[in-house]
Amino acid sequence: MGLDFVGQGAGETDGNIITTTIDKVVNWGRKNSLWPMPFGTACCAIEMMATLASKFDLSRFGSEAIRFSPRQSDLLIVSGRISIKMMPVLKRIYDQMPDPKWVISMGACASCGGVFDTYTLIQGVDQFIPVDVYIPGCPPRPEDLIDAVIQVQEKITSGASPKGVEAVYE
Amino acid sequence: MSEEKEVEEQSKPLVLEKLEANHADALLAQDESRGTVVVVVRKEQAYAVLEYLKTDPELAYTFLVDVTAVDNSQMESELMQFDYARFMVVYQLYSYHGQCRLRVKVPVHENDLSIPSVTPLWRGANWLERETYDMFGINFEGHPDLRRILMPDDFEGHPLRKDYPLRGRGERERFNFEKQNV
Amino acid sequence: MQGGLERATGEKMVLNFGPQHPATHGTLRIVLELDGESVLKATPHAGYLHTGFEKLGEHLDYNQYIVVTDRMNYLSPLSNNFGYVLAVEQLLGIEVTKRCQYIRILMAELSRLADHLLWLGTAALDLGAFSVFLYSFREREKLYSIFEKTTGARLTTSYTRVGGVLRDLYDGCEADIQQFVSNFPKALKETHTLLTKNRIWMDRTKGVGPIAADAAVSYGLTGPCLRATGIAHDIRKAEPYSSYDEVTFDVPVGTNGDAYDRYLVRMEEMIQSCGIVTQVLDNIPDGPVNLEDNKITMPDKSDAYGHIEGLIHHFKVVMDGHGVQPPKGDHYCATESPNGELGFYIVSDGSGTAYRIRIRPPSFLHFQALPHMLEGGMVSDTVAVLGSLNVIAGELDR
Repeated sequence: MGLDFVGQGAGETDGNIITTTIDKVVNWGRKNSLWPMPFGTACCAIEMMATLASKFDLSRFGSEAIRFSPRQSDLLIVSGRISIKMMPVLKRIYDQMPDPKWVISMGACASCGGVFDTYTLIQGVDQFIPVDVYIPGCPPRPEDLIDAVIQVQEKITSGASPKGVEAVYE
Repeated sequence: MSEEKEVEEQSKPLVLEKLEANHADALLAQDESRGTVVVVVRKEQAYAVLEYLKTDPELAYTFLVDVTAVDNSQMESELMQFDYARFMVVYQLYSYHGQCRLRVKVPVHENDLSIPSVTPLWRGANWLERETYDMFGINFEGHPDLRRILMPDDFEGHPLRKDYPLRGRGERERFNFEKQNV
Repeated sequence: MQGGLERATGEKMVLNFGPQHPATHGTLRIVLELDGESVLKATPHAGYLHTGFEKLGEHLDYNQYIVVTDRMNYLSPLSNNFGYVLAVEQLLGIEVTKRCQYIRILMAELSRLADHLLWLGTAALDLGAFSVFLYSFREREKLYSIFEKTTGARLTTSYTRVGGVLRDLYDGCEADIQQFVSNFPKALKETHTLLTKNRIWMDRTKGVGPIAADAAVSYGLTGPCLRATGIAHDIRKAEPYSSYDEVTFDVPVGTNGDAYDRYLVRMEEMIQSCGIVTQVLDNIPDGPVNLEDNKITMPDKSDAYGHIEGLIHHFKVVMDGHGVQPPKGDHYCATESPNGELGFYIVSDGSGTAYRIRIRPPSFLHFQALPHMLEGGMVSDTVAVLGSLNVIAGELDR
């Protein structure tokens, strides 16, 4: 966590002072309040809905505040097939999101085209936007999506930059 | 049971009988395949035949189920049958009145890809014809809005033609983010 | 409200709705021309999820293509699987065993429930009724677990095969389904109490997006959208396929063809589907699920892994030029999918791969009719009408 409690002996301040760095506090906040922007196009979007709904309930992990406006969200979940007609829309939505932003590529189609090796389908969105976490599966189960969100949270805690930021400095 | 069957057998050729009586010169071939009557119609009279099929009160094929096309360029036997017409435009019709289906096929040559649009008869034909245009390049004359529908506007080629490769011609790797109208 | 201040300005405003909007259920896009709050012109755009299904059909063999049909209408993959293999079987001129037909009906009706449930949840969510979404997903999860135990997957089932199904029902499946359908009407009643007489729901859907019966036929509407206009047409009744003539059910119809009627028709269809499921469970015969035709059906997995004959049999069926090869010709086969008439038009050149596969999607024609229902209405009705049509992008664009 990076939060250290100071003072083990007797006294008024025992356990009440925390020393940390500002980055760690900010990341701790970010991690527990990810606002996903669901870019759901196909089958995976149905599983994403299932993840948000009653049984799996993504809000247990602090990510239930779904924002369909890219300007208010920091986690893009690309779930579903992206066609050549859709890719410019996805790119624009990614560009509109404020930094720092993370991207989950959910399912085989978004990650590599899946079973659809055809003329119209983008063979992996990572050709055009940086992706932080890939989820395999066609479609992945809700547990897989929850796992991916936790991986993003771990990435934030570790202080690593999102792929999008790394790409800028490279 | 046998009575029912007789009625069925009589009612099936009714379409063909009526077409032979009224549009004999338009018919190129007729067939009954797996319970569906199939007629092949000359392109010039296609609109008149479809209009007749829809408006005749006994037939009343009021429901245009589907419009599509088949590129026969890699099926020699089909090509030869209709004077090397590369495309076959296929209309699927259904009659709520007679509860039966009908398939109307119209051969279209590659050097003249135009065919009359049936949008005045069925409003639903609009998008179906647009899709056939997008995928095969068939030119529906008199269509109010013949644009691409599934592919982007600046796309080149017609994907469902047999000479178009499955993996495309590199469209999915290179496209201009600026140019596309989002 | 209508004809008020907003109208007096006389200025047109163009509103781009979609392709990424929470109420567009995927990738639909509508360009609306507005005068104040009223819609002057609506132009739907399709193609944002075009995947090339029909082209892919020319490159995959008949059994491989079943995987692709899952991903078309992803609310009810089992209905797509069913419709597709039925078309191939009719092209081949074979009929599957009685038990298999019943299993297929069972699964198709359960997936109709799954489809209508998701439609109900999202349509209500679009109009602000969030609890209905949670209620319908609670029921859907129960269906998911039945699907998963039967087919091995929650969503992309790929359950049917040409000449049969992947495997027979698991032990205790009938009891699970029976339990589900006996509890389901009670669960649906909760939604009825929440919505059917709810003032807000009625105000938002009654008289909204109406379409007359003749216009609906002209636009080629099918399924619940057609039946809401008062035409009692159901392919399961008109051209019974796969033993549908052995079960009894009613075809619910509406009168006004508006969003409220489409809602009521779908709600009643769910009850009817439950009835069909119960009848199927009562009458399902014993016997083999797959055809005894070694040219068409695959051997049992234990045979393929355990015996050399089974392995050779398996190899022969999957090898190009030895498996399913329908005779030369073409065939159009329509089935009543939850959304309407789902048709497969297959042209065979006699080889193991289709020469051309055309999918006739119901959503494509429903989406086309949208301007007819929207123009002259209010901008806020757009979401209500679009929700009531249940346009599935995967099926629309293929």
